[in-house]
Amino acid sequence: MSDLIGLRDELVTILGPDRVLADPLALRLYARDASLVEGSAGVVILPGTADHVVAAMKAAARHGIPVVPRGSGTGLAGGATPVGESLVVVTTKMNRVLEVRPRDRLAWVEPGVINLDLANALTPTGFTFAPDPSSQQTSSVGGNVNTNAGGPHCLAHGVTSAHILAVDMVLPDGTSVRLGSEGPSTQGLDLRGVVVGSEGTLGVVVAACVRLTPIAPSVRTMLLDFMTVEDAAATVSAIIARGVVPAALEMMDQGIVQAVEAFAHAGYPTDAAAVLLVEVDGLAGAVAAQSREVEGSAREHGVRTVRAADGEAERALLWKGRKSAFGAVAQIAPHYHLHDCVVPRTRLVEVLRGVYAIAERHDLIVTNVFHAGDGNLHPLLSFDLGVPGTLDRVMRASEEIVRLCIDAGGALSGEHGIGLEKRDFMPLVFTSDDLGAQACIRAAFDPDGRMNPFKVLPEGARCGDFAVARAGAAVMAGEAETAAAAGIGDAASDAAALPPGSWI
Amino acid sequence: MEGLHPDTKTDVAEMLSHLSSAGTATLIVGGRRDMGRAVNRGVGAELWTTQLDRVIAYDPAEMLAVVEAGMRIRDLQALLAGGDQEWPVDAHPDATVGGVIAAGISGIRRLRTGLMRDSVVELELVTGDGRLIRSGARTVKNVTGFDVHRLATGSFGSLGAIVQVAIKVRPRPKVRRTLVLHDGGVSSAERLLDAVPLPAAVIAEPDRIELVLEGWPEEVEEQTAAARAVTAAFDVHEDRPTSRVDELWPDAGVLAEVAVTPSRIETATSGASRWRALMGVGLVWIPLADQDALGSLRTLVAAESGTVTAVRGGVHPAAAVATEGTDIAARLVDAFDPAGILS
Repeated sequence: MSDLIGLRDELVTILGPDRVLADPLALRLYARDASLVEGSAGVVILPGTADHVVAAMKAAARHGIPVVPRGSGTGLAGGATPVGESLVVVTTKMNRVLEVRPRDRLAWVEPGVINLDLANALTPTGFTFAPDPSSQQTSSVGGNVNTNAGGPHCLAHGVTSAHILAVDMVLPDGTSVRLGSEGPSTQGLDLRGVVVGSEGTLGVVVAACVRLTPIAPSVRTMLLDFMTVEDAAATVSAIIARGVVPAALEMMDQGIVQAVEAFAHAGYPTDAAAVLLVEVDGLAGAVAAQSREVEGSAREHGVRTVRAADGEAERALLWKGRKSAFGAVAQIAPHYHLHDCVVPRTRLVEVLRGVYAIAERHDLIVTNVFHAGDGNLHPLLSFDLGVPGTLDRVMRASEEIVRLCIDAGGALSGEHGIGLEKRDFMPLVFTSDDLGAQACIRAAFDPDGRMNPFKVLPEGARCGDFAVARAGAAVMAGEAETAAAAGIGDAASDAAALPPGSWI
Repeated sequence: MEGLHPDTKTDVAEMLSHLSSAGTATLIVGGRRDMGRAVNRGVGAELWTTQLDRVIAYDPAEMLAVVEAGMRIRDLQALLAGGDQEWPVDAHPDATVGGVIAAGISGIRRLRTGLMRDSVVELELVTGDGRLIRSGARTVKNVTGFDVHRLATGSFGSLGAIVQVAIKVRPRPKVRRTLVLHDGGVSSAERLLDAVPLPAAVIAEPDRIELVLEGWPEEVEEQTAAARAVTAAFDVHEDRPTSRVDELWPDAGVLAEVAVTPSRIETATSGASRWRALMGVGLVWIPLADQDALGSLRTLVAAESGTVTAVRGGVHPAAAVATEGTDIAARLVDAFDPAGILS
């Protein structure tokens, strides 16, 4: 039986009162992440060490209380939004860089280390941590691991998964495991690979071994502006066709450029239909060669101006425009809803046109800033929730945008994750067998189904369904033991319907 | 022993369903090039994926290729060459795409190209009991649910048969150059690794070092100049292929692959007269006379927190290494191969 009060009292004894929050304000603060999804927290802890997490997980297991891991809370899909009476494990106080080993090209860090702080700490060694989500000033490495975070520079360097060599994790029963390895080879199944991007549903990551990427000796950042969105998109394809994989290749439409310019004063041309922010890096020779190809591609497709950053200050200014986009939209309307679907990059224009049409139909303002090189769209709907009926329109438009991307051969999420927000869209892209197999992964880590419940998998996705048919097959084969063993995971991953109430 | 050669994914599903019902121990076979790396037990059936060799989709502008898993590496690279692209693995031309993924083998040039495992973006797997499941998406970026495709990569067929994949491919470098230095050893190689920015590979042996460079012509010239600042004693070869691991020391009965952190390479090579090390990565290949020598090497490397895989000629002790998360892995294997027929 679940026993929240008992758990809270025990946690105060184990961790001390300063690390346990249960007052109404704290519970309110930790009841949501940066998405629109609203939840409720049962008790909140701020562990300082891996041992604290182990003790808390064991206590939660004894009391049968679900556990929701949380980093900085910048997630945009409700992945860290607690549902029901959960223990929220906030890792922000576990913020030490444990060791940096340039010769081994790795560093061990605690999950609460802020992404940008890690990059800055590594700079003197000549290396960096490559993932750079737009939230990098506030988001934590643990959060990056759990959402397999991307960022503008993952076009050339890959998403977070490519930069995590190993994780130390505390399982729901309080057991500690190291998954992956410091060295170049792992024995057995790549469990590290499934933990990255698992949205806190498999355990609590208490340390991550990150890969160090050499800082490129030279870099060039260019702002290209176009009078049509089609020309900008055609330039993206032309750059790739010339064999150039820029470090970053970002597109912003006129709406977002106007918002950003008023906010950041980066000198973006507000009369352009679209701008591309292109960064190439490498050795000086590679930067020169790639710049030439980028400029050539743009000229073929009617670029109006090419502005190359002259020095670090101008480069920072150009990036400030891009990275402040989500802050800038606050000027448009008090609330926004940010999407994150991925489409084949050759279908960007068609999908973008569709997004504009959907927004118009629902009388919403949409602006677009996105990772064009990756085909990762971020349509941003701006609105005022104070106007009656707005939320309905936003939700209807959102669903249409998701379906539009899926119909174009896309995926539900490029870098934000599924969380609560998109879990009920999962059957659009996966069969029940696909989802059953995914539920088996969850069940293998969390047989009791207590880790971040209700997230990622839709109602009805069960490892058990997988097991029922398997048990039948085994019985036919006369293997009673296998049939019995196939019962594993029946209780777990039986993704349930959300409790009553509106979550968004 | 029965040899099965399915033509379609549906065939694979039907066959594995029957094999599971009959409880027949089964080995999934691709190009048979990396079988020596895995523990193989006696089986009643071999299921070959090599008939599954169709191109499903390839558009160079997407930098993605979707192919059936039995496609030979030779055919895949020929396909990609049409788009002036490559999948940067160094497998035998007869190896299959699915086999390379199941064995989890990355290319020699990984310092520049990244790991093979990160190139697999979508995968279709027929589980041991004959269910066809798909994971991932045909996009270069994706966080949608639990990644069965990552689990299948490097799983050596223990979860099912990989039947189709979408892989990220990359532009072929404009220039490839290999500098061969007539000086060897770990410390010299480390100096080069530090001095030459962004090399594709630094391969050290006791008496020579290969510096593998690739990229735009201007940058390869820059890298060559950086190497020259360290030493002028090298030969320059354009477009020279690097020897594949399976080609090393054909005379040796056992070929071991050591995986350690890069700073432990020196220790891993101590005591060996012949070795080849991938600097900055931590892989070392050592030819050995027999199983005893393999055992001694395992002891040495275990003390350095590393692992040893026999690429060729090795006897793999069952559960050679007790890895953490073993219970989790066992539960996963149970769920994907409930009748326990897969090796």
